[in-house]
Amino acid sequence: MAVETEEGMLVRVQLENFSIDQELERIRARSTKIGGIAMFLGTARDHSKGHDVSSMTFEHYEGMAQKKLKEIRERALQDFDIIEALVLHRYGPIEIGENIVLIIVGAEHRADAFKACQWCIDELKKITPIWKMEYTPQGDVWVEEHP
Amino acid sequence: MVQVKLFGMLKTFVAGSSMVEIALSDGAHVKDLVDSLHTQYPELGELLHQKKVVVSVNQEIAHWDTALVASDEIALLPPFAGGA
Repeated sequence: MAVETEEGMLVRVQLENFSIDQELERIRARSTKIGGIAMFLGTARDHSKGHDVSSMTFEHYEGMAQKKLKEIRERALQDFDIIEALVLHRYGPIEIGENIVLIIVGAEHRADAFKACQWCIDELKKITPIWKMEYTPQGDVWVEEHP
Repeated sequence: MVQVKLFGMLKTFVAGSSMVEIALSDGAHVKDLVDSLHTQYPELGELLHQKKVVVSVNQEIAHWDTALVASDEIALLPPFAGGA
């Protein structure tokens, strides 16, 4: 597989679910120097700010969302002592308990992997144009509806 | 005339539409766009003036002095809510 395509697979915004095992393998296969892998998996919970949530939908800005995830991966590779990073986010309808977002960071040692993994998810929440609609008994709510 | 993409809650201010068209004169800047939006959609304008909604031009966050041309890809972005 061409390097460019493989790198493209490390940053994705997709409708379908992802396999954590497959994505983990994708990182492991990047280098035999990797000795520590940290992962953050975000899943859909059934409550938010005191109300029940029955399901949710994520909307993204096609193009810009991918661009921002790519920037996050590139900055993580530049600013932390890590070997590889993968950043995935789903869009569309998501049921309670399903996967939403996955960050996997491979490094020689655990400390750098943990630090970079936390930075990636924090940065994703700050700069990536993705929005969440929650379905609740009180009606449909865009999260941050009153920004 | 420029087309402005809308996301998330912002669509509720324009009858559910994901795009609005705004007439702008040549040499307009983002600030002129914000003023026009405020006139046509006061709630949207208020959020823009409070900087709770930001403008992106060609998929980068823009400033009020950013110059606009008709071919620009313009969007209004409410606060992000990605992650879990």
